[in-house]
Amino acid sequence: MFNIYQPQKAKLISISQESSETTLLRLQFTDKRFQKSFNFSPGQFLQIGLLGWGECPISICSSPSVSDKYFELAIRDVGQLTHKLNSLTIGDEVWLRGPFGNGFDMEKFSGKPLLIIGGGCGFIPLRPLIQDYMAGKIKLPKLQIFYGCLNEDTMLFKKEYPAWNRNSEFAITLEKPSNRWKGARGLVTALIAKRDIDPGSVAIVVGPPIMYKFVIKELIKKKIKPQNIYLSLERKMYCGNGVCQHCAIGPYYVCKDGPVFCWQDIKNIPEVI
Amino acid sequence: MKSKQFQKFLENLKDDFLFYAPKKTESGLRIEKISTISEIDFSGAMPVNTWKQLFFVHGEKVFDFKDGSIVENKIEAPLTVAFGINVLDLRATTLYEHVFEEDVYYQKRRNSTLIIGYSDSWPIDFKKYKIFSHDFQKDILRHLIFDVFIAKVKKDEFIFFAGSKTGQNILEKYAVGDYKNVEYIGSSPKTPLDKKMLSLQAKMAKSADKKIWDDLGKICIACGKCSIACPTCFCFDFEDSSDPDGQGRKRKWGNCFYNDFSKMAGDFKTLDTVKQKIYFWYVHKFVRIPREYKMPGCVSCGRCNKVCPVGIKINEVLKKI
Repeated sequence: MFNIYQPQKAKLISISQESSETTLLRLQFTDKRFQKSFNFSPGQFLQIGLLGWGECPISICSSPSVSDKYFELAIRDVGQLTHKLNSLTIGDEVWLRGPFGNGFDMEKFSGKPLLIIGGGCGFIPLRPLIQDYMAGKIKLPKLQIFYGCLNEDTMLFKKEYPAWNRNSEFAITLEKPSNRWKGARGLVTALIAKRDIDPGSVAIVVGPPIMYKFVIKELIKKKIKPQNIYLSLERKMYCGNGVCQHCAIGPYYVCKDGPVFCWQDIKNIPEVI
Repeated sequence: MKSKQFQKFLENLKDDFLFYAPKKTESGLRIEKISTISEIDFSGAMPVNTWKQLFFVHGEKVFDFKDGSIVENKIEAPLTVAFGINVLDLRATTLYEHVFEEDVYYQKRRNSTLIIGYSDSWPIDFKKYKIFSHDFQKDILRHLIFDVFIAKVKKDEFIFFAGSKTGQNILEKYAVGDYKNVEYIGSSPKTPLDKKMLSLQAKMAKSADKKIWDDLGKICIACGKCSIACPTCFCFDFEDSSDPDGQGRKRKWGNCFYNDFSKMAGDFKTLDTVKQKIYFWYVHKFVRIPREYKMPGCVSCGRCNKVCPVGIKINEVLKKI
């Protein structure tokens, strides 16, 4: 019987410092056949662990359309395990389970203008979606990307901005930038208010819990329907199989039914956002 | 079967298996390992503890860390009999069969355990239990998973039912020729589904604004005793130990009343107040389990009522949702 809790070993093949607190780890399963068959969709997550340090859920932040030889995880240093993961070096090994959950179902979005809204490190699961679009895997009449960050130091994936600028309407706003910052200031909600948004757009929103309420309010003002708003929720995902109960919200499990939910389906669940 | 043969049947089982059964102890009726058949309590009363301890072991080592690798701990599960499970507790063990269908550790223990249900009357005669959370099905045995079920239908008459191939084999082995086969047709009747369960599910789903949750938030002390006592609570945590003597990953029973249950990075908790915690507990029983397994998440055993230090009564709460 297959053990659903058995993790697979992966090796760290490269590291890049994305921000002062976030590291981008490029990983490869040591079992070559497993790596070759490792398929996932944007929005899904993995449980990453170190022996003796437990496991934690991390969104996958690369797309299989970029390479089937590796995958990437961006890890923010916020706790004991993520601190340890941030101090690994090339060649070190980690243990992974997954992918888990339902990612972004692109069939539902195709043919409609897409608006991607990310806040802080919530932007991480959105990157594979953008990569798929840039690789021509997703056909969209229009792509808008709005990204809200605290300051210049917390901006992720900076090297990719030129390509995003060329191929989409990409806008970034900083809440507390330095004096040198010449771009937009303020919260991502202000970007939504200012920009032209097609009411027939599908909106995908990922960010810290506090962001959702305000962003959804703005989107509704722009006449976007609740059934066209998708969120990726964060809870304490643990077993990955909808059993251990840690990530339950109302009738659902974030690890199994989510993490991507349609706002229409969850808006009546108390304290869901 | 007559009492004398029934006793002999139990003696034979006792010789071949580790034998767990309800037993009267100084701390009440408890499910324990017994050494003689005379220790068994046949009253059908609700034991203080639950059967989940046999299949879903608190603190079970699930992985060893060896030479930088993580290796599945191959559990040596002894051949065990779980005897005397009453019909309400069988509803809970039936739920576990579905919840842990893909769990190697549960399956290992379950496959080496013979589940023997028992009632001191016909199984349909449930009046001794105060059932408030579901409808009692007339064909209850067909909605329960067991290997053998024994009903004492008269003072000196026992009827045997086999609920699995393993159960049939055991009954044949011990020369119980006269038994009925019962086929499991699912945890609840399909049409209509358990009406009481559905009505509670609908009420719960709309109850978030009810005053009862504010009231409970003030009374409940979030001690978590109800979760430990509940036969349908099954949440868990993994815990790693890097201690050189016992490196590995263990699985421990979780508890949604404890502060670390929903704690994420940056100490952020989604279940922060007592009100949120107790509401979450009820949503699990009355919304999530019915939605996922089409069966009631509360079996009306009343254990939570008995252990609650502040006197919260689940049957009273359900009247106020």
